[in-house]
Amino acid sequence: MAEPQPSNVQEGASTPPAPLPTGTAEDRKAAAALSSLDAPSEDTDSPAKKEVDTKALGEAMKQLSVAKGGGEKRKAVKIEAGDVALLVSELELPKLKATELLRAHDGNALEAIRSFIAPAFSSVALRT
Amino acid sequence: MPQPLQSKEASLFRSLVKFYESKQHKKGLKAADQVLKKYPKHGDTQAMKALILNAQGHGEEAFELAKEALKNDMKSHVCWHVYGLLWRSVKNYEEATKAYKFALKIEPDSQNILRDLAHLQCQIRDYEGYIDSRRKMMNARPQLRQNWTGLAIAYHLSGNYKEAEHILKTYEETLKQTPPKSDLEHSEAVLYRNTIIAESGDTERALEHLESILKNNLDRTAVLELRAKYLLQLGRKEEAEKAYRALLDRNTDYRAYYDGLEQALGLDRTNEASFKRLTELYESYASKSERIDAPRRIPLDFLKGDAFKAAADQYLRRMLNKGVPSTFPNIKALYVDSEKKAIIEELVLGYASEKQMNGSADGKTNGDTSDRFEKSVLYFLAQQYDYVLSRNLEKATEYIDRLLEKDPKSVDYNQIKARIWKHYGDTQKAADTMNHARELDLKDRYINTKCAKYQLRNNENEKALDTMSKFTRNETVGGPLGDLHDMQCMWYLLEDGEAYMRRGKLGLALKRFTAIADIFETWQEDQFDFHSFSLRKGQIRAYVDMVRWEDHLRNHPFFTRAALSAVEIYIRLFDHPDLAKEHPELDKLEPSERKKALKKIQKEQEKARKAEADRRAAAQAKATAKGDDGEAKKPDTDPQGETLLRTKEPLEAALRFLIPLLELSPRNVEGQNLGFQVYLRRRKLLLALKCLLAAIELDSENPKVHGNSVLLRSHLNNLKEPLSPAVADAIKQDFTSPPANADLAALKAFNDDFLKKNSKSPAHLQRGYNVRFHLDPNTKSQNETDLQKLLDLEGTTLQQAAEGIKLLQEWKSDEKKVEAYREAVAKTWPQAAMFQKK
Repeated sequence: MAEPQPSNVQEGASTPPAPLPTGTAEDRKAAAALSSLDAPSEDTDSPAKKEVDTKALGEAMKQLSVAKGGGEKRKAVKIEAGDVALLVSELELPKLKATELLRAHDGNALEAIRSFIAPAFSSVALRT
Repeated sequence: MPQPLQSKEASLFRSLVKFYESKQHKKGLKAADQVLKKYPKHGDTQAMKALILNAQGHGEEAFELAKEALKNDMKSHVCWHVYGLLWRSVKNYEEATKAYKFALKIEPDSQNILRDLAHLQCQIRDYEGYIDSRRKMMNARPQLRQNWTGLAIAYHLSGNYKEAEHILKTYEETLKQTPPKSDLEHSEAVLYRNTIIAESGDTERALEHLESILKNNLDRTAVLELRAKYLLQLGRKEEAEKAYRALLDRNTDYRAYYDGLEQALGLDRTNEASFKRLTELYESYASKSERIDAPRRIPLDFLKGDAFKAAADQYLRRMLNKGVPSTFPNIKALYVDSEKKAIIEELVLGYASEKQMNGSADGKTNGDTSDRFEKSVLYFLAQQYDYVLSRNLEKATEYIDRLLEKDPKSVDYNQIKARIWKHYGDTQKAADTMNHARELDLKDRYINTKCAKYQLRNNENEKALDTMSKFTRNETVGGPLGDLHDMQCMWYLLEDGEAYMRRGKLGLALKRFTAIADIFETWQEDQFDFHSFSLRKGQIRAYVDMVRWEDHLRNHPFFTRAALSAVEIYIRLFDHPDLAKEHPELDKLEPSERKKALKKIQKEQEKARKAEADRRAAAQAKATAKGDDGEAKKPDTDPQGETLLRTKEPLEAALRFLIPLLELSPRNVEGQNLGFQVYLRRRKLLLALKCLLAAIELDSENPKVHGNSVLLRSHLNNLKEPLSPAVADAIKQDFTSPPANADLAALKAFNDDFLKKNSKSPAHLQRGYNVRFHLDPNTKSQNETDLQKLLDLEGTTLQQAAEGIKLLQEWKSDEKKVEAYREAVAKTWPQAAMFQKK
C-alpha cells in the first residue's frame, strides 16, 4: 500500500502543495504538550455536562458497590519451600510464579516441571 | 507527618511548589535553599529540591537528596510521591509503584497520587491493582464519564467482560436524555461497549445492541463492518450479503469484504461447482469501473486450467499495456502453484514472441507506436527469472540487458540488474549497480536506501552511511548515524550490525543490535502517556488495540532478527573470551615486536580520539547540542561498543534478547536452538530441554535439533554431580531420543544412522559431521574430506557452502584445507564475491 498522503495534498490540484512546515519540531512540541495536558483536564472540575444526573449517579454507585465483593477462594495446597526454591533456580521463575505453578499441580514438583517444559504455542498471538 | 514551618517559610515552600510547576527551576532552587537554611532537615523541601535537580538533569544527585529527605521524614506523602516521580522518570515502574503506594497510604485522598499510581499499574499490567485504583477514582468523581470508562477498561483488560459491560451500561442508564448525535465521546463509548459484548462471545446480543446504535454512530465503517461480521457469524446469510455489498460500495479494493461476501453467498473456492457464480460475482464488480484492481486480480487465486489461462491473459495484457511496473509483484504469489507458474510463463513468453508487441489480442496497432507493452513484457520476464520460484539468472540477465539497451537511464531496470547480481552472489557488482541506479535519480530516497542496503550487504559500512547521509539531518548529535538512531531507522541498524558481524567487528555489531532492543523499549514506554490521553480523547477501542499490541510488541521480525544475531555473538564471546580482547592478533607476535605493534596501535587510537574530539567540538560550535525536545543529549560514551564486548557475563547479557524471543516468537526454530545453546552453557538443563522439546515439536527434522539432542545426552552422561530427583525424573520422562542408556559408542552409532538416513541433504550431513567431530575429534580429517564432497552433491546451495567454511573454522582446520575448500566453492559459484581470492 502507498503511504497516506499529507493532508495538504489534494487530488487533481495543479500546483504542488506548499511544502510542509519544516519546523516539524513544533509539531512534536505540540504533541508533547497535548499528552501532558491531561493533568488539568482529568483533575480540575470541568463543568459537568448538562445531561449528567448526579442523583442517578449516586444511586448507580450504591448499586455497584453492592454488586461488588465475593472473590474465589484459593485451593489450600501444601507447598514445600524446597520445591519452590528448586523451580526458582532451575526454571528461572520469580518466586510468585513458581508458587503458582506448584499450586496448579497440587504441589507436585515433577508434574509442575513437566507441564512447564512441554511445548505450548497456542496461547501466543501469531504474526502472519 | 510533615514538619511544621513558620509562616514565612511556609509561604516560601508554597512558592517553591509553584516554581517547580511553572518550570522556573532557578528560582525554585533559591527558594528551597532559603527554607533549608533555617530548617536543614525539612524533608518536603529537600524532596522538592531533588525534583528540580532531576528536572535539570542531575539524576544521581536528585536520588541522593530524595533518599535523605525520606530518612528525615518517612511519614510525609510529599517525600514518597517525589521518590515515585524520580523512579518513574528513569522508567523503573515497579519501584515507582511501590513509592506511590506508600504516599497513598499516608494521604489516601490525594487524587494526583492516585491517578499517577493508576497509570503505572496499567503500564506494568497489574490489572488487579488497576481496577482498585480506578474504582477509587470513580468513587471520588463519579460525575466524570472518563472515570467510568476507565474502570470499564480496567475490567475489560483483566478479562472480566461482564463487569466491564455492567459499568458502561450503568453509566449510560443514568443519562437523563440521550446525548446528541454529534457527541463523539458517547459514540465511541457505546461502540466500545458493543465490542465488549461481542468479545464475551454473545454475538446475538452484540448484534441486537449494534442495531440500536447503528443509525446514530459516527464511525460508519466500524459499525457496518461489525454488523456484517455478526450477521455472518450468526448465519443470517442474506442480510450478511447485503451488508457486505454495502461495504463494497464504499471500498471496492478491500479483499476482506470480498471474502465476507463469498461466505455470505455460500461460495466455496475449493469447489469447482461454484466457479461460475464466483466468476460472475467478480465480473459484476469489475465492470463497475475501469480503475478497480481487486475483482480482476482475485479470481486468479482460485481459477484453474483453461479458465485460469483466459483470465490471466486478460489481466496480464491489461496491466502490461498500461505499463504497470508492479505487475510481477502483484502476480508472483501465484507461483507457489507450479501449474499456474507454467501457464503465466507461457503466456508472457508468447507476448514476447509476438511479431510486434502491442498487447492487443487481435494484433491491431494503435496510431501512435508505443513500445510500452514490449518493455513491460521484458521487465516482467526479467523479474520472473530472478524470482526464487522460477529462477534462471542467465535468462534474467538476457532480458534485463535488452531493456537496459533500450533505456539505460531507467532506475527500475538498473535496480533489477543489481538484484540479479546479488543472487549470483556477487555483492560487489550488485552494490555498484545499485549505486548507479541511485545516481540516476538523486532525489528519490527509496533508491537511496536500497543502495545503502546493498552496500551494507557488501560489508561497506562507511560507504553506506555516506549514502544515507544524503537524506538525514546531519546536524544532529552524532551526525547521520545519530539521526538514524533518533528516527528509529531499524532496517539500517540491523543491516549495519549484520555487516559488522560478518566483518568480525563484534563490538559494533552488538552496539547496533542493542540499539534495536533500546528502540523496542522506547516503543514499550511510548504508551505511558496514552493511559490518560486516550481516555480524554475517548478513543477507547484504539487504546485497547494499542495495549494489546504492546503486549506482544517484541514478536516483531526486527526484534527477532536482532535477537538471533545478538545471542549468537554472546555465545561466541562465552566460548572464546579472547574475542573481546582488543588485538587478539598480537598474541601471535614475538614480545619485542608486540611492544612495537602495541605502541603503533596506541598512537593511532590517540590520533583517532583527537580527531573525534575535534569533530565533536566543531559540531557543538555549529549547532546547539540539543535534541528537538529541548533535552540536552549526552555524547555516546562507547561509540565502538567495546564496553558491550567486554562484558563479564555474556550469557546473562544475552537473556535480554533471548527471553522475549522465546516468549513472544516461540515458533522460531532458530530461536529455540539458540536458547538451547545458551541454557546448556548456563547449566540450566530443564530450560535447555524445554527449548529442545519446542524445536522438536516445530520441526523434528531440523538438522540442528539432531545435534542438540546428541549434545544434551552426552552432557547428561558426563555430569559431575547428580541432579535433584524431580529434575532427573522430568528429564528421564521427557527426553527419550537418543535413549537414556546411550553411551559414547551408542551415540556415535546414533549419529551414523542419522548420516545414513539423510545422505541426500547437505544441511543434515553438515550437522552430522559436526556431531561426529565433537564426539570424537579423531575423525577430523574424515569430516573434512566428507564436507568437501558435499559440494558435488546435487542441490547444495551457496549458503550451505558458506556454512561449510564456518564448520572448518570451528574445527580449527588446517589453512590449506580451508583454502582448498574455498577454491572448490569458487569453481562451482564463479560469481560469488565472498569466495574469490582476496
